[in-house]
Amino acid sequence: MTLVLELKQEPDQRLDLAPLVPHLLQGKSAAEIAAIQLQTTRENCAVGDIFDVKLDGAFDKIHFKGGSSRLDHLGAGLKDGEITLEGDCGHAAGRAMSGGSLVISGSAGPFAGSALSGGVMEIKGEAGDFLGGPLDGEIEGMSGGLLIVRGSAGARAGDRLRRGTIVIEGSAGDYVASRFIAGTLIAVKGAGALPGYLLRRGTIILGATPELAPTYIDCGAYNLAFAGLFGRFLRPYSKPAAELLAKRLNRFAGDTSVLGKGEIFFPG
Amino acid sequence: MADALIDGKPASLEAAAARAAQILVEARLPLVAGLGADVAGTSAAILLAERLRGAYDHMRSDEIFTDLDVVRQAGAMVTTPSVARLRADVLVFIGDDLTEIWPELIDRLAPAEIPPFDLEKSARQLVWIAPPKGAAIEGVSIKRIETANIAVTLAALRARVAGKPVALAGEALEELDAVAAILNKARFGVFVWGPRRLDRLCVEMATGLIIDLNKTTRFTGLPLGTSDNAAGVTQTSGWSTGFPTRTSFGRGYPEHDTWRFDAVRLIESGEADAALWISAYSPSAPQWTREVPLIALVPKETSFAREPAVRIDIGRPGVDHDGADFSREVSALVAREATRRSDAPSTASFLKSIAEQIARNAGQSGEGA
Repeated sequence: MTLVLELKQEPDQRLDLAPLVPHLLQGKSAAEIAAIQLQTTRENCAVGDIFDVKLDGAFDKIHFKGGSSRLDHLGAGLKDGEITLEGDCGHAAGRAMSGGSLVISGSAGPFAGSALSGGVMEIKGEAGDFLGGPLDGEIEGMSGGLLIVRGSAGARAGDRLRRGTIVIEGSAGDYVASRFIAGTLIAVKGAGALPGYLLRRGTIILGATPELAPTYIDCGAYNLAFAGLFGRFLRPYSKPAAELLAKRLNRFAGDTSVLGKGEIFFPG
Repeated sequence: MADALIDGKPASLEAAAARAAQILVEARLPLVAGLGADVAGTSAAILLAERLRGAYDHMRSDEIFTDLDVVRQAGAMVTTPSVARLRADVLVFIGDDLTEIWPELIDRLAPAEIPPFDLEKSARQLVWIAPPKGAAIEGVSIKRIETANIAVTLAALRARVAGKPVALAGEALEELDAVAAILNKARFGVFVWGPRRLDRLCVEMATGLIIDLNKTTRFTGLPLGTSDNAAGVTQTSGWSTGFPTRTSFGRGYPEHDTWRFDAVRLIESGEADAALWISAYSPSAPQWTREVPLIALVPKETSFAREPAVRIDIGRPGVDHDGADFSREVSALVAREATRRSDAPSTASFLKSIAEQIARNAGQSGEGA
């Protein structure tokens, strides 16, 4: 069964959708859900003011019909179940999600998948800056799970990523995989300036030859057994990423300004 | 000379405060921006934002967070100009804008002087990464590293200081290794940078290099920061709300987010629908282009594309009235006595009259703002 929330009109303030995840709504009636407050200013705005709520009995899935770049924290803290959004969303969608599935048909704002630790999140459009990264003042970025962007991502995608996988089927912006601690990021159409800046460990795979800092050292071209294995794991989620992994790849090791145990691959 | 202008027409300060109160109370999300104010003005502005359940931001926040984000996400070792002058046997300047940011920099750090607290009493060495054209300091031979990309140079230098390989050869590598040797042999080194030529990752690379160097010697940083009492406002904001600027009271409690509560973004997106602009230190106007009802507390010479709804000729702290603000010289808040005391109102006093007006209105209508 599905809880359907249909957007009535573009909200005139940013709304915090963090309360609208299955584990917080279980056992609530449509009227109780409609009364949940979402406002971020002194003007009140409840779920029922902005969404038409359609619910029959128990549900394991939430579907948002219609989106807006003012809808923040969609699916924040999601533990299990499924959330789908037809449209765009704002700041930090999938924030600290630990399980389940979150699918956004449009584009997401900055900090999408921030501190993701489990589950699968998919953005069919574009993603803003700091994909998967830590919020202001936080130390750790993404620590697990799979984050897929079908379009392109902004600057510093995967900032401070510690574990987990990010696949960007378009291109990534400047400073992709900045401050990586470990984990994997794939940008099928390449990346902007200085990928892997301050990267300690971890793997970046880029579909186009990048502009690298001299703190990345050429290690030659490889047909890696692991890349094939990883490509087979990714094939059900992203065919372009799997195809990139099947190619012969140049390996550059770095960032030697820090630990230097990471690597950037790109076909050559 | 009128004390205030309402829609471009002369008015009394009382009438201006009443009109300002009305505009701010009617807004869905009022914004306190600019925030170029002394400690008392900043405190009053934050209290007003809390009363209004609005957001506040500083006009130099991008530059504030270039350093502050590194401090709070990665850590940094920093010092004062006096310690740098007394102890540094090696100075590393980064960027061509240092003397623009702080014209007294060279006088204060005195690179030509033998550091008084250095036991070996040898001449200071100065390395300048990305120096300005023709940079010269009397009595100092500057070791220059010309670069168009500070991020790349800092990364390569950090790798060479640690003896790790880089994909460079020939003269470029020799030059870098010569500087790495100077840094490794330093007894007390100080990096000096500003937040305009460096981005957050460059600053993190520099502070990381400082931390690396501290494994074998002493090294620290001197971030020059930015203008309009940015450091003083950051400290005042910290003790008032627990957060730096770009904080909102929209939900009744302070919530900090550098993207959501960026003043320009809030206005351009239409989320904030009225603004109080404060710039007591410089004739600065807002960067946004969208038109919202604006209350401006600015010096006389400030010009606006569109006349603000309410405009006050505000006094400058330490000139027109006494004030406390952050002093780069001592890296601390200092009290400054007015040097040319005048009747121009202080930011704190005018904001207090707005707050009183709001309280009076709320009392009359029997409902809170």
